[in-house]
Amino acid sequence: MNSGQATRVRNQTLLFIGLAVFTVLNLVPLIWAALTSFKNPADAFTVPPTIIFEPTFEYHRQVWLERGFVHYLINSLIVSAGTVLISVPIGSLAAYALSRMPQRRASPILFALFTIRMFPHMLLAIPFFVMGSFLNMIDTYPLLIMALVAINQPFTIWLMYSFFLDIPRELDEAAAIDGCSPWQTFRIVILPLARPGLTVAALFSLLLSYNEFLFALVLTGIRTKTLPVAIASFGGEDVSDWSISAAGAIGIMLPIVLIMIFVQRHLVRGLTIGAVKG
Amino acid sequence: MRWQRGLWLFLVPSFGLMTVVLLWPLGYAVYLSTFDYHLGSPGMRFVGLANYTQLLSETRFWQSLWTTIGIALGSVAVEFGLGFALALALYRLTFSTRVFMILLFLPHIITPVVATLFLKWILTSNWGLLDATLATFNINPPDWLGNPVWARICVVLADAWIFTPFVMLVLYAALQTLDQAQIEAAKIDGAGGWRIIRHVVLPSLVPVIVFTVSVRLMDVFRFFDTIYVLTGGGPGTATETITMYTYQLGFQLLQVGKASALGIITLVIVAAIIATFSSVLQRGYGRN
Repeated sequence: MNSGQATRVRNQTLLFIGLAVFTVLNLVPLIWAALTSFKNPADAFTVPPTIIFEPTFEYHRQVWLERGFVHYLINSLIVSAGTVLISVPIGSLAAYALSRMPQRRASPILFALFTIRMFPHMLLAIPFFVMGSFLNMIDTYPLLIMALVAINQPFTIWLMYSFFLDIPRELDEAAAIDGCSPWQTFRIVILPLARPGLTVAALFSLLLSYNEFLFALVLTGIRTKTLPVAIASFGGEDVSDWSISAAGAIGIMLPIVLIMIFVQRHLVRGLTIGAVKG
Repeated sequence: MRWQRGLWLFLVPSFGLMTVVLLWPLGYAVYLSTFDYHLGSPGMRFVGLANYTQLLSETRFWQSLWTTIGIALGSVAVEFGLGFALALALYRLTFSTRVFMILLFLPHIITPVVATLFLKWILTSNWGLLDATLATFNINPPDWLGNPVWARICVVLADAWIFTPFVMLVLYAALQTLDQAQIEAAKIDGAGGWRIIRHVVLPSLVPVIVFTVSVRLMDVFRFFDTIYVLTGGGPGTATETITMYTYQLGFQLLQVGKASALGIITLVIVAAIIATFSSVLQRGYGRN
C-alpha cells in the first residue's frame, strides 16, 4: 500500500467515525423516547438516567387501547387517505396539462403555484375556522380533507410536472395522430408510464397530511381529532404519563419510517420541489 | 390547435378547488380584517384599517416580528453551517452514505409535533434527560424552557434539529452536480481543500443556497408546530413569533378581525421575501 492510499483509507475512516458519532448524538432524543416508552415509572425518573431496565410493553398497549389512540389513528387514516385520493388525481391532471403547454404559458402558472405554497397557513386557518363554523362543518372529515387537498395541490402539481416532463412528447403526438383525445392520451398512454411518479406523489401527500398539525388543531374536535393533535395535547400534560406519551409518539413515528425507506431514492426530488414540511 | 385547447380543461378540477378553498378564504380574510369582530359575539363593526394601524403601533406585534426574525437568522445560520458540513462529509464518504442519509434524515421526516416532543423530553426541567444527566454530576442547570434567553436558544436549536437534514440534502444533491473537471483543475493548480471549497465549490452552489435560504425564511414565518409544543410562545411572550401571536389572537382571544389583519401583514412580508428572491428562483425552476 503506498502512502497516498494509506492517507485515503485514514481519511475515510475518520470521516466515517465523525459522521457515526454525530448521527448517534443527533438521534439521542429519538432513542431516549423509544427507551422511555418501554420503561416503568420507577425506571423513567432515575438520576443518573438509566439505559438498563426491565422493558415493558404495557404503555404501548395502554396508549392505543385505553387512551383512544386507535380512534385517532383511524381519523388520521381517513383524513390522509381522503387527501391522497383527491389530491393526486386532480393534481396529476393539472400537472400533465402544464407539462404539455408551451413553456411561456406554463412558467407563470408554476410560479403562481410556488407562491401559493408559501402562503402562511395561519392566515388561511382563520377564515377556514370562521367559514367552517358558519357552515357547521367544524369537526367533520370533509372540511379538513378539503383544506389539506388545497394546500397540497402546488406540491403535487410541481412533483408530477417534473415526472411528466420526463415522458417524451412524441408519445402524445403519436397518440394524437392516431385520433386520441387529450383525455384518452393521458389515460391510456401517459398514466401507465407515470406510475412511479404517482407512487412518489401519493406517498409524499400521505406524509404531508399525516404530519399536518395546524389545520387539524383548529378544524377538528373530539370526533375527528388526528394523531398529531392527540399527542400534542397528551404529551404536555403530566410527567407521570411520560411512558404513555412516549409510546404514542414512537407509534406515530413508525409508519413514517417505513414510508421513508420507500421514497428514499426520491427524497431529493420531492423535497427540493416542495419541501415536505407543509 | 383543438388538442391543445382540450388540455386547459385538465386544469379545472385542481384550480377550481384552489380557488374555492384557498383564494376565496383569502379574500374573506381580507374582508374580516376590516372589522372589529369577536367570534361568538353577535355583531361585526366595520373599522376600516383600524386593525392594521392598531397592530403597527403595538409593542407586542413588533416584538413578535423581531422574535421571528431572530429565530429565522439563528436557525438558518445553524442549519447552513451544519448542513453544509454534513453534506460535504457525505459527499466525500465513499461507502454507507445511504444508511447515514436515512438516519440523519429522520428528524426532518417524522411528524414535527412528535419530533418536538422528543426534544421537550430532553429539555424539561428536573426530569428531562439533560437535567437528570447534569444532576448526576451535581451541576445546577438553568431552566432551559423557562428562561427567556434559553427558551429562544432552545427554539432555534429545535428548528435546526428538524430542518438541518433538509438543508443537508439539498446541498448534497447540489454537490453531486458539481463540475469535477473544475475541481481537478484547481487541484492541479495546487489549491488545498479549503481553498477549493471556498473558491470553487461555494460559488457554484450560490443559486441553490439562495433558493434554500429563501424557502427556509418563508418557512419560519409559518413556523408553528414546534413553538406551540415546545414553549407555547412563552415564557411570557419570549418565543412568541408572528404566527404564534396570530394564533393567540384568533383562537385564544377570538379577535378574528385583528388576527386576519395580522395574517395579511404576514403575507405581505412573505410576499416581499418571495419578490426579493424571485429572480434567482425563476432561473432555478426551469431545471429540476
